[in-house]
Amino acid sequence: MAEFRLLRRSRATAIVPERSVAGRTLVLLVAIMTFLFGVTLGGVVLVQKSAIAWSSDVGREVTIQIRPMEGEVMESNLRTAVALALATPGVTAARALSLEESQGLLEPWLGSGVDFSAIAIPRLVVVEIDDPSEADIEKLERDLSAVAGATLDTHAAWRQQLNLMAGTIVVSGLLVLALIVVATVLAIIFATRGTMASNREIVDVLHFIGASNSFIAGEFQGRFLAIGFRGGMVGGIAAVLFFSAVGAAAGGVVPDEASAQLGFLFGRFSLGLDGILGIAAVVPVIAAVTAITSRLTVRRFLTQTS
Amino acid sequence: MIEFDTVGLRYGHGPEILRDLSFKIEPGSFHFLTGPSGSGKTSLLKLLLLSLKPSRGRVKMFGQDVTDLDQDSLLRMRRHIGIVFQEFRLLDHLTTYENVALPLRVLGRPESAYRANVTELLEWVGLGERMDALPALLSGGEKQRAAIARAVIGRPDILLADEPTGNVDPELSLRLVTLFAELNKMGTTIILATHELPLLDNFKYPRMVLRDGGLSFHG
Ligand SMILES: Nc1ncnc2c1ncn2[C@@H]1O[C@H](COP(=O)(O)OP(=O)(O)OP(=O)(O)O)[C@@H](O)[C@H]1O
Ligand SMILES: [Mg+2]
Repeated sequence: MAEFRLLRRSRATAIVPERSVAGRTLVLLVAIMTFLFGVTLGGVVLVQKSAIAWSSDVGREVTIQIRPMEGEVMESNLRTAVALALATPGVTAARALSLEESQGLLEPWLGSGVDFSAIAIPRLVVVEIDDPSEADIEKLERDLSAVAGATLDTHAAWRQQLNLMAGTIVVSGLLVLALIVVATVLAIIFATRGTMASNREIVDVLHFIGASNSFIAGEFQGRFLAIGFRGGMVGGIAAVLFFSAVGAAAGGVVPDEASAQLGFLFGRFSLGLDGILGIAAVVPVIAAVTAITSRLTVRRFLTQTS
Repeated sequence: MIEFDTVGLRYGHGPEILRDLSFKIEPGSFHFLTGPSGSGKTSLLKLLLLSLKPSRGRVKMFGQDVTDLDQDSLLRMRRHIGIVFQEFRLLDHLTTYENVALPLRVLGRPESAYRANVTELLEWVGLGERMDALPALLSGGEKQRAAIARAVIGRPDILLADEPTGNVDPELSLRLVTLFAELNKMGTTIILATHELPLLDNFKYPRMVLRDGGLSFHG
């Protein structure tokens, strides 16, 4: 009989009762905070990645525009421009758009019934570059000054605007992340204080029998670490699922051609392995924030109340 | 072991409950603490437990002035003091066994190191069959014995007991005080607060009597 009892008593009851901690509410709160953190972080990563990819795609192409000028032969100017472009280091291809192609580009603006033979229209040379960092665009620009009416469009203004927008989104995202952490910390301080107050009798008795503050803090902290970890896991997994779902939805709902464009814009909503790892890293961070915050709060409570 | 020097105690801005207490208690002694209800017995025990600070005067325990002791040293000193509260203060969610083992558990000792001791003590106070019961299911007398067991499990040098016989029949009262007498024989300094004067007549220990804020010794 006594032996049986001894065997059965292998796991001690927690000194801080499970029910007394605002457990489920706090798990939910931490889960929501982790989810928001993960989604914001994922969004920031996505924007950053897309901006870089986009910027380099755009950078891989420059356009030479040749305006028709009095006394100039357009076709020979085009040939000169193509030759100059091909002579530039780093350029892999250069091609003048034909008259029909150029008219085709104008059609959306002027309508299809226009007789273009009456008006002289600017012509374009599309120059492809292998590696924007190695191409000598400045040389091309200098060379082109020899061709009357030629201007070089490197889309620099475009890219600058794109980078500015991406930068703004990233900075706002980081700000939101910081606010989420602050809100989490405040909520945990609040919850910890509530838990301590409702377990006041236990704290007092532990003090009376000589328990050290670090022992008591440890009992509470263990609880909060578990809560932080569980909440973090739930929120983190939800965030990863969210991105998979959005990615899948974007692929399914949007028609093929548009989807290809979206894919070009947003990298197919794919976070990539590093994005998912980033979100996974949020979980231990949130759990640690929970544990450290509650430990400090408990410590302060204990020194204040005895 | 315990030394009071013109100690006074008041709660907040109220009147002085205890006035000019000056006395010494030798190691290994046994004292009854009596006095009418509201005379300050519990308050005096709280001073001895270091859970109240005197409003004036000095308290020395174990040869050390405790008036300005920092919290950590104070908590460490408490491990040498056992306390039986008037209202038991067992933790409701822990079993009798776990309540009694608590003072050892908070020292970080593994359960295997104290299991046999705790079980033996529980058998000794007659709670062997109630080890796994929660306090809510214990009778008043059983709670009392559990509280006493928790106070003595850590072999304290000083044992403070506040009305430890308040909830039991005269026969059990006698047995419990006899239990304290046994502990005293093994060297524990004991102060036992009670207003059951008839019970005291069975023992020849000196009495500390609180009345009108002052303390006098008899016997
Ligand atoms: N926390 C407190 N705040 C204010 N006054 C208190 C407090 N605790 C006790 N008192 C007052 O101090 C006086 C002594 O109380 P105490 O509990 O020490 O008496 P006691 O001798 O233990 O009484 P009893 O025999 O009824 O247990 C009482 O008048 C009581 O009202
Ligand atoms: Mg009392």
